[in-house]
Amino acid sequence: MAKTKTLAVLIAFFLAAGAASAAPAGKTASVPAIAGFTADDMPYDAGNALLLRWPDGQYGADTVYRVFLSTAAAGGWVHADEFKAADREAKAIPLPFWAWEPLPGELAVKLEIGALVGELKSGSDVKVKAAAYRNDKLIAESLAVTAQIRGNWFRLDRLNNLILLTVIVIAFFWAVSHAKRKGLFIRRIAGLDAIDEAIGRSTEMGKPIFYVPGIGQMSTISTIASTFILGEVAKKVAAYDSQIKVPHYDPVVMTVAKEVVKQSYLEAGRPDSYREDLNFFVSHDQFSYAASVDGMISREKPAAIFFMGYFMAESLLLAEVGSTTGAIQIAGTDVEHQLPFFFTACDYTLIGEELYAAGAYLSKEPMLVSALKVQDLGKLVVMVSVAVGGVLVAVGAKMNWDNLVQVVLTLFKAY
Amino acid sequence: MKFIKNYLPLAMVMVVGLLMLASYYIPHKHSVDYVELMNKWENIVFAFAFLLGLLSLFVSHYGKIRRRHDGWGYSIFVFVGFFIMVIPALMSGGKQMIDGQVTGLGWSFRYVYNALSATMFAVLAFYIVSTAYRSFRIKSGQALVLFIAAFILILGKVPLGQMAWESVLGWTGYGIDRVIEWIMSVPAVAGKRGIMIGIAIGAIVTALKIIFGIERQYMGKD
Repeated sequence: MAKTKTLAVLIAFFLAAGAASAAPAGKTASVPAIAGFTADDMPYDAGNALLLRWPDGQYGADTVYRVFLSTAAAGGWVHADEFKAADREAKAIPLPFWAWEPLPGELAVKLEIGALVGELKSGSDVKVKAAAYRNDKLIAESLAVTAQIRGNWFRLDRLNNLILLTVIVIAFFWAVSHAKRKGLFIRRIAGLDAIDEAIGRSTEMGKPIFYVPGIGQMSTISTIASTFILGEVAKKVAAYDSQIKVPHYDPVVMTVAKEVVKQSYLEAGRPDSYREDLNFFVSHDQFSYAASVDGMISREKPAAIFFMGYFMAESLLLAEVGSTTGAIQIAGTDVEHQLPFFFTACDYTLIGEELYAAGAYLSKEPMLVSALKVQDLGKLVVMVSVAVGGVLVAVGAKMNWDNLVQVVLTLFKAY
Repeated sequence: MKFIKNYLPLAMVMVVGLLMLASYYIPHKHSVDYVELMNKWENIVFAFAFLLGLLSLFVSHYGKIRRRHDGWGYSIFVFVGFFIMVIPALMSGGKQMIDGQVTGLGWSFRYVYNALSATMFAVLAFYIVSTAYRSFRIKSGQALVLFIAAFILILGKVPLGQMAWESVLGWTGYGIDRVIEWIMSVPAVAGKRGIMIGIAIGAIVTALKIIFGIERQYMGKD
């Protein structure tokens, strides 16, 4: 009997010791509870974070909070976060006003569970608690709260983006369905008008045309636009019976470009002139590509060079070498910090959106041309928004209407 | 046949495109997994396409050597360079360091590849000078604006220019630093943002044209 009692006492002692060691550091006797501590699933995320909230100002500005979490897999309490009260105000949660309403004087913490205890299944229970410390001494602790993490199905914070997209999509379908056969005015783009001149020059001189699609992948919009232009250029090259060479950086782009050029030769009625080696792979390294294409340009002295697509530092390396050979150079890219190099080294440069519009401009397809209207509409919307928004923010700042300023700024923010 | 050649690719582009678009608004794990899956597929397609690219490179340069095409000697270096990198890579299992020792691949990377890449990048400096010279030949009103802005920026970056500015225009109370800051943060940013807004809208419309099959030149015409 005495032996059983001793065993029970020993077990109780070890259990108590275990519980004490699992508790947050610094815990001593019973301390006041942090009032109003809640934990919920973080809204609008993939299901790997919790949102903890509690009222601030209970224990003074020098309070340091520590947050602990526990899951079935992790076992004991895991130290999840530590911060001063002022660093986690509810209004600092990066969500817009239509998706998140921060209460004044409230603390809010977004707790990324995955980074702490690994990925959990949707619906998993996570136990959390917060403890307040002053001078490293525990002064209050919340009750442990259990919350479930869940994957959400809609990013409400991106509603502004979705509305803008919906407007553009509606305008897009309206413009395409009202595509006119004739009579839609398109501003003259000198760089595209010069394509005929460049190809004609090449034919007269008996020298090749180089079409450089840059270092973008097939998922890059400028590379996609470049393949459309390549199709139109190749059609003219085939019609004039001139020669085109397309050195590639990306093998996927090369495969697509091969099909595009082949199709252009077919449409021009010159399938016999098409050769598989018109498109060729050079290198998947930026400077190796630039060195190789520079070498070819220097040796072959082409009559015309097109730089259309995505370019980085190699833009000037290519364009400057092309310039020294005396070739007509037409460039187009949407990388705005490379545009100055093309401006100075090339005869014509397509700026960003002109590159995207080039396919429609050259092909004159009514539906494609009509879609350009949508770009203009989009720009009009942006211009009006910038003007109205600018005035509202300026007036709001002058009159100290902080709420108005915040609303206007939030409307145009990306989340 | 027409279904396989025309409609099936269009349907695939539309479905995949719309799902990718939707994934931007759907944070759920299924959506994240779908995007990851697509990225994996892209990598797989790229790997096969890379083999095609390599084949294209070898065929093209072999043809040049065989036909003794102008500059065929350079084509030999393509093969030499390829084997110089590939053979040590195979021997060292693709590692640049083994037990603290630099392997043949590591040596080639450090002392050949990196040196050559750095050289190409350094050449850029010389080209910038020649481009700047060309920009400074004022042929139009726009070129004059470009020249003035660039001249002020260059002036402000050298001590001599700063001293010259202070002695000539110091009485205005506007230091060259303030002028440069204004140029960089007002007209330069305004121009850049204008271009970026146009690009963003153009990109959306281009994406819509491809997703909804309006732009399908990549498929050819029937």
